[in-house]
Amino acid sequence: MAQPVLEWQAGTVTEIRPETRQTKSFTLALPKWMAHRAGMHYDVRLTAPDGYQTERSYSVASAPERVGLVELTVERIEAGEVSPYLHDVLVTGDQLEVRGPIGGYFVWEVARGGPLLLIGGGSGVVPLMAMLRHRAAQHATLPARILYSTRTPDDVIYRQELDALAAGDRGFEAFFTFTRQAPPGWTGYRRRIDAAMLGEVIKPFGTQARIYVCGPTLLVEAVATALVQMGLPIEQIRTERFGPTGV
Amino acid sequence: MAGLISRGFLGRRRPAEVENRLPPGQYLVTDWPVLSAGPTPHTPLDKWSFTMDGLVRKPVTWSWDDFQKLPTQTYTVDISCVTKWTKLDMTWLGVSVDTLLEAVQVEPTGKYVMAYSDGGYTTNVPLDEMTKGQAFVAYQFGDKPLEPVHGGPARLVVPHLYFWKSAKWIRGLRFMEENEPGFWEQLGYHIHGDPWKEERYSGD
Amino acid sequence: MNMDDADMNTALMVDGNAVAGQLMDVFGRDMTMAVARCAGCAREAEMGALMAFTHSPGVVLRCPACQAAIARIVETPSAIYIEARGATFLRLPR
Repeated sequence: MAQPVLEWQAGTVTEIRPETRQTKSFTLALPKWMAHRAGMHYDVRLTAPDGYQTERSYSVASAPERVGLVELTVERIEAGEVSPYLHDVLVTGDQLEVRGPIGGYFVWEVARGGPLLLIGGGSGVVPLMAMLRHRAAQHATLPARILYSTRTPDDVIYRQELDALAAGDRGFEAFFTFTRQAPPGWTGYRRRIDAAMLGEVIKPFGTQARIYVCGPTLLVEAVATALVQMGLPIEQIRTERFGPTGV
Repeated sequence: MAGLISRGFLGRRRPAEVENRLPPGQYLVTDWPVLSAGPTPHTPLDKWSFTMDGLVRKPVTWSWDDFQKLPTQTYTVDISCVTKWTKLDMTWLGVSVDTLLEAVQVEPTGKYVMAYSDGGYTTNVPLDEMTKGQAFVAYQFGDKPLEPVHGGPARLVVPHLYFWKSAKWIRGLRFMEENEPGFWEQLGYHIHGDPWKEERYSGD
Repeated sequence: MNMDDADMNTALMVDGNAVAGQLMDVFGRDMTMAVARCAGCAREAEMGALMAFTHSPGVVLRCPACQAAIARIVETPSAIYIEARGATFLRLPR
């Protein structure tokens, strides 16, 4: 197993792309880039002139097949310390101190096989997107589904890309659920993820599914509990809790 | 631990108008950050008790109802957490440790106190820093019952020390001969914890 | 964890993934896949799956089954403290 680069390095911001009102994707060129596995994250560290430092972790959104760079998709938290800086101050050409890739527990690679069920809430979709991008880059045919919960349609990150992936790949389907407001004419789910919804989405995969759940802690707790109660083996369920951001 | 200086990043601020009320290295908050070492305990009030034991002539225990009958005071104090936030003018209603001490006879050797809580948390304070109004057991914040996330039904408050000494979900005080380290003191935090001397870590 | 008791404290809880960088500082390698056996209830879980309380003077990693403290980490300017008496063992994959 390759050892990740443990030291901090200065990445250069090469692109900043708005995804939704509250999220942006930051592409960083890394001098000491090392291939991550989908699901891993980087730590980002800011240092003020007086020496004050603060760190946060952000999941990598890009596939490892994109050599030399990582893309981090970050939700702007109003009361946050780091995300407002990234959104409001950082510009292309700036340097950002990062360390990684980190976190071999919450990873998926094509070699692990499927069928693959990804369940995300809010910005929890980011590491799941890396998994889907990796699957696409490898032209894998193993079946995959994503169940993605957001408050409103405007909060769906990567919507166009997910729709395009689903349209072009018979092995992949995307399911969306909205907890506050659905699009006009929406016939899909419009509630918090619950056991009934999980049962429907997982049906074709049965107990074989490899499941990844990521998002706000309360969503992850509820989903993981429901999955276990439905009889899914706990070894097949991997979770990553993001803390209190709402969904 | 030097790092690349992040262009345009200014860190936390210390407003000039309260500068002299903020201990060194602290920044001002106006909300109340939730910090915890574990899940919120939920001891029902009919099972709750508060005990003073250890080096005392005879241990004493109060039920919630009995505790409510003890005389209370209102305290308005500034609170500093070792994680660097300070909140000014927090108002509490609680029972002074002086009042609680009237119910026990502490042995002469009982110079230190270990506060212990639901969930296994402990923290140590010298007895002479809990008397003369320096510490109280609070069960109201503002005019409302203390919320469980902030330590309710009752927590210790020792305002002159870092807030980790103000044990949430407190269930008792144990009097001891030595200044034994509690939960965080065992793991690198300062045995005393005075924010004005910036006693954050052992060796400070 | 009983979701009826969910509150801000629960919402703030994360898991071992969130402290992977800190664990790397201590152990010099990714520890999220290391398996910890709880000294309290004998349940085994990967460290990435442990409950993590990070809004705290230090990090406390707890057993997802019985909530006992498995490990605690404190970072001071001059040192990192770690205590893992709550683990019967940590098993690191090669």
